[in-house]
Amino acid sequence: MNGVNHCCVMTKINTLVMEDRAAPPGPGPYDVVVVPKMTGLCGSDMHVFLEGRAGESLFSDPLVLGHECAGVVAQVGSNVKTLKVGDRVALEPGAACLRCENCKSGDYNQCGDFKFAAADGFDGTLQGYYTLPADIAYKLPDNVSLAEGALMEPLAVAVMSVSKVAKIGHNQNVAIFGAGPVGLLTMAVAKALGARRILAIDVNASRLEFAKQYVGAETHLAIPMNPGEAREDYSKRHGKYIMEKFGLGERGLEAIDLVVECSGAEVCVQTGIWLVKRRGKFVQVGAGPAHNLIPMSIFVNKEVTMIGSLRYGPGCYPMAIDLVSRGLVDLKPLHTHTFPFKDAILAFETTKKAMGPDGKPAIKVMIEGPI
Amino acid sequence: MVAIETLEHQRRQVPTTCGPWEAVVCPKRTGICGSDMHILLGHTADPKTGFKSFVLGHESSGIVAKVGDRVTSLRPGDRVALEPGEACLRCDDCKSGHYAQCEFMRFAAAGLDGTLQGYYTLPADLCYKLPDNLSLEEGALMEPLAVAVNAVATVAAMRPTANVAVFGAGPVGLLTMAVARALGARRVIAIDVQQGRLDFARAYAATDVHLASPLQEGESREDYSKRHAEIIKHKFGLSERGPSGIDLVLDCSGAEVCIQTGLWLVKRRGKYVQVGNSEVYINVPLRIVMMREINIKGSFRYGPGTYHMAIDLVSRGVIDLKPLLTHRFSFRDADKAFGTTKAGKGPDDRMAIKVISACGVALRSASNS
Repeated sequence: MNGVNHCCVMTKINTLVMEDRAAPPGPGPYDVVVVPKMTGLCGSDMHVFLEGRAGESLFSDPLVLGHECAGVVAQVGSNVKTLKVGDRVALEPGAACLRCENCKSGDYNQCGDFKFAAADGFDGTLQGYYTLPADIAYKLPDNVSLAEGALMEPLAVAVMSVSKVAKIGHNQNVAIFGAGPVGLLTMAVAKALGARRILAIDVNASRLEFAKQYVGAETHLAIPMNPGEAREDYSKRHGKYIMEKFGLGERGLEAIDLVVECSGAEVCVQTGIWLVKRRGKFVQVGAGPAHNLIPMSIFVNKEVTMIGSLRYGPGCYPMAIDLVSRGLVDLKPLHTHTFPFKDAILAFETTKKAMGPDGKPAIKVMIEGPI
Repeated sequence: MVAIETLEHQRRQVPTTCGPWEAVVCPKRTGICGSDMHILLGHTADPKTGFKSFVLGHESSGIVAKVGDRVTSLRPGDRVALEPGEACLRCDDCKSGHYAQCEFMRFAAAGLDGTLQGYYTLPADLCYKLPDNLSLEEGALMEPLAVAVNAVATVAAMRPTANVAVFGAGPVGLLTMAVARALGARRVIAIDVQQGRLDFARAYAATDVHLASPLQEGESREDYSKRHAEIIKHKFGLSERGPSGIDLVLDCSGAEVCIQTGLWLVKRRGKYVQVGNSEVYINVPLRIVMMREINIKGSFRYGPGTYHMAIDLVSRGVIDLKPLLTHRFSFRDADKAFGTTKAGKGPDDRMAIKVISACGVALRSASNS
């Protein structure tokens, strides 16, 4: 590639610096070089930016952030037949090795040599050019915008948890803890895949109001803890409270078949186990503290299945794109703020405050590409 | 192979480099299998395209000669079993864990030169190190054993204590029986048309054997197969339901009457796995499949984890491959190896099960490891 690569670089905690670097070399035979056009920010970006880590992913100076991205193909490798220059694509921000047992078994997200963008020394998408394998740059249909393309990453997380991990059955009742972007997208996927009832639980009333407007979810604002109440007791009380409020049982048609936990908060994990039906499924998406106290005897007695869900796997991006293209999931209401590349720092501040300079609540904040 | 049924020894260039993720291996032992025979006899030739000569062999083990720059799992001198099919790794099938279905698969001796040569280049992750207690000959049998592991463990997902029936007691059938026993099958019933094969099967891995009953004069295949299944059920006290039924049938013959009989034999809601290469179209009792909710699945070659499991089952002594290694030939006599496989018995008149051709560069030691 000719020219200059304008990069937004994190050099230390809470610090971004605009830097010009050399344009990247030409792509390898199976790769493409993409010009990022829109990058969304997410909770993990904020953790890395403000704390230097997000779970196991670490910041080291310098690091280009950004991993929720869509752009335009600028150059294709010699063996690439699926894409051409000019194609608008959603980017899957992590490359697996393809050759280990995990990769060959269909679980590339568990690859031991996975290189995820915007962490551990691998630069992300807040720059002028981004190189990646062509098979993880997914063409957007004409009726899907680049901003919607940037939302495919979190939508793929939701598709993974609901479709692949939970394998949601027909006509099921789903409870989702956490009505942030991942929770909202999880509700949207559950609805698109035929869920019967969707129950959103959060501590924030305006997020719940949004969930109600967005997917028609039934909503529940978490009840307060009693003074001196232990978390375990609160969660048991809360679980039963929710069941009574929404006419839910431990069995039968009006029971919660599937809980998807998108908050990472310990009391939500606990409450979810109380809430899910006998033999029900509990999928953990939210990344919380390493250790959680859980009602294990209830888990055993009800024969609950709990499964962890990490990012996305084969088929998630194509399903995400297809659900949006066919109108089954609407991403536009989630995209609340956009900033030009030079104002990237405002995007981070907006995400941190969950509110823009315009005073509007922020859900998904995006940064335009420099080109 | 230079023409139908014609093999020739040729000298070619020694490969001096390989890709960063590849290894160059000196094949040492190659087994001959039914599909090799089909190719040699011209059954798979496309009449429209001209014949292009190529190297046969796909069931092999060897010694690593060279590794690419990015390879850390292997070193020159390592003894390895070879997986002879290179998938693209990047398509949806590959990334979903089903690389046997890869559209861009390049398979040895089918478009790609095979292993009956001095040097063979392939991805390093398709070279599986043999533990010290496994010989190179056993290594060559890992390919058909991986086929059996794929059929029983992956496709059938056989549960321990299952009652299993296997049609066809050739190498693949025998290995399928061995895997079923190793993974905890309660009964393994072998069915074949040759008593010699059944005698071997009973000594090897089957709990019970049955020599196919004769077709009655004027009897249609459909009627025979239905009757044959009843004979087998009666002979072994098998039921249509419950713990005395056949949970799993694997057809390793490809023969229509076996396929039909197998579908009549499997219990209600049981599993039927097609391993053997049959004709494209087979006449099956489909209404019985519907009424009894039989689950029919195809099993093709191998997949992730199969070679690892195959090697482990032999290394731990749960499967014994040595009885299957009946005939051996030097590289110079490779054509005799094919001749023995075709005839089903060797120049010594003994029944042939697996024929091994030594290959490539001359052996330095007299031992078979």
